[in-house]
Amino acid sequence: MVKIGEKTAIIRCENLSLGYGKEIVLKNVFLEIPQGIFLPFIGPNGAGKTTLLRGILGLLKPKKGYIHTPFRYKPAGYVSQQKSIDPLFPLTVREIVMMGFYPRLGWWKRPSKTDKKTLDEALEELKLTKYAHKNYRDLSGGTKQKTLIARALISGAEVFILDEPTSELDDLSQKEVLDHLLRFVLEQKKTVLIAHHGLDDLSLHASCVCIVNHGKVRIINADEVKRSISSEIK
Amino acid sequence: MSLVLASFKDIFNVFPEAILAGLIMAIACSFLGVFVVLKRVVFIGATLSQVAACGITAALFYHVHPFLGAAIFTLVTVTILAYPIGKDRIPRDAIMGSIFILASGLSILIISKSGFGLKEVESLLYGNLILTSPKDLKIIILSILPVICLLILFLRPIIYTFVDREEAKVLGLKVVFWELFFFYALGIVVSASSKLGGMLLVFCYLVVPPTAALLLSNRFIWAWIISITMAVLATLSGFYFSYSQDLPANQIIAVISCLLLLLSFMGKILWS
Repeated sequence: MVKIGEKTAIIRCENLSLGYGKEIVLKNVFLEIPQGIFLPFIGPNGAGKTTLLRGILGLLKPKKGYIHTPFRYKPAGYVSQQKSIDPLFPLTVREIVMMGFYPRLGWWKRPSKTDKKTLDEALEELKLTKYAHKNYRDLSGGTKQKTLIARALISGAEVFILDEPTSELDDLSQKEVLDHLLRFVLEQKKTVLIAHHGLDDLSLHASCVCIVNHGKVRIINADEVKRSISSEIK
Repeated sequence: MSLVLASFKDIFNVFPEAILAGLIMAIACSFLGVFVVLKRVVFIGATLSQVAACGITAALFYHVHPFLGAAIFTLVTVTILAYPIGKDRIPRDAIMGSIFILASGLSILIISKSGFGLKEVESLLYGNLILTSPKDLKIIILSILPVICLLILFLRPIIYTFVDREEAKVLGLKVVFWELFFFYALGIVVSASSKLGGMLLVFCYLVVPPTAALLLSNRFIWAWIISITMAVLATLSGFYFSYSQDLPANQIIAVISCLLLLLSFMGKILWS
């Protein structure tokens, strides 16, 4: 069992195998993720980072084994790798971000004043205020991605799963978004799982890193990361 | 203007059921059509109306109520379309096309064995709003209005499911349920409208006004308002020309809808 520290696990994978069709991408994964951790998932393209995160989210059924998560009662805040929003739909940035309130508002409830304030603050933090009433389809790739991050952040989730959320952002915006995410972990004790290609920016913030490669999952201490990962990827 | 209003008064006195049924169909189909166009399943309008026509033919052949035949056939079709047969290999349109061909062929085969008169056959294939009876209007009101009310009530989960299926799933929405809910609702509206509207008018209401509306608007709410307004306008003016020029109502409504779409295109080009 790959375990991080002595804290209670919020997510637990037992003998987990995941894949698509007949292909197995990850095999016999044992993983325990404690609450309030900032955990980057690192690995080369096609290593299975997205597959593992999709499995944890319940978007991919396990081929074998179990995943225990609290998402049935409290959905995760999720930012996907692809732009999953259909650009034909005429929705504004504000309306897209508002989706994050769904677990609280349900089918009919209207957002309260506090909800609207939370939404405005999230837009402000991610510098999206001036785009609030713009159509989502008319935005640049980076602004679209920030919109999806804002949607995840306002959801009030305990666990955030972000699949390469900064891939479309410039260096400055990447830093801003990562700083914001880190504040979340430290101030509000949220759990953040983030798939990422690079190492430098994330390993600085994380206490440990999850390496996904060749169908295997390993946890490495942040101090070892830079040293270990280069040989791991090779 | 007063002459036109006087004509409308005459038309409403002569065909009150036809006008009410036409307006309800126009509003319901043009509202649902906004989703149909956005979901890129435009052909579902033609397929379901053809299947409904086939259901009506079969119902008449077996002496069952036409709405029942249309409803059973369309709901079964929606269920088949929802099943992910070869989802990664074949576009949905290919399956819809095959069902459309089957329904068209089957309708003609049933008609050829039925001994229906030419008027009945024409009415089955093309529908005729003018022939709306009080009983037809009752069926339209009782089937379409509750469905539209339910859709408006559950608009949020439906929109979220359609806009971002994956995120909707993560947020805890039962996406398959909401997709089926919408398409069954569409099936019921099409079934109720097909006997009077025929394939042409139902397909027209589902596609033409929503296309014009989405071309002209940048917001959901405006898309619905424009789509419904356009469908209502085409229906009322269609009745007027049908009455004053002795033209078939359904076809003239369809032609006027397309002219409005053309005007929207031109307006959009001139505007931008």
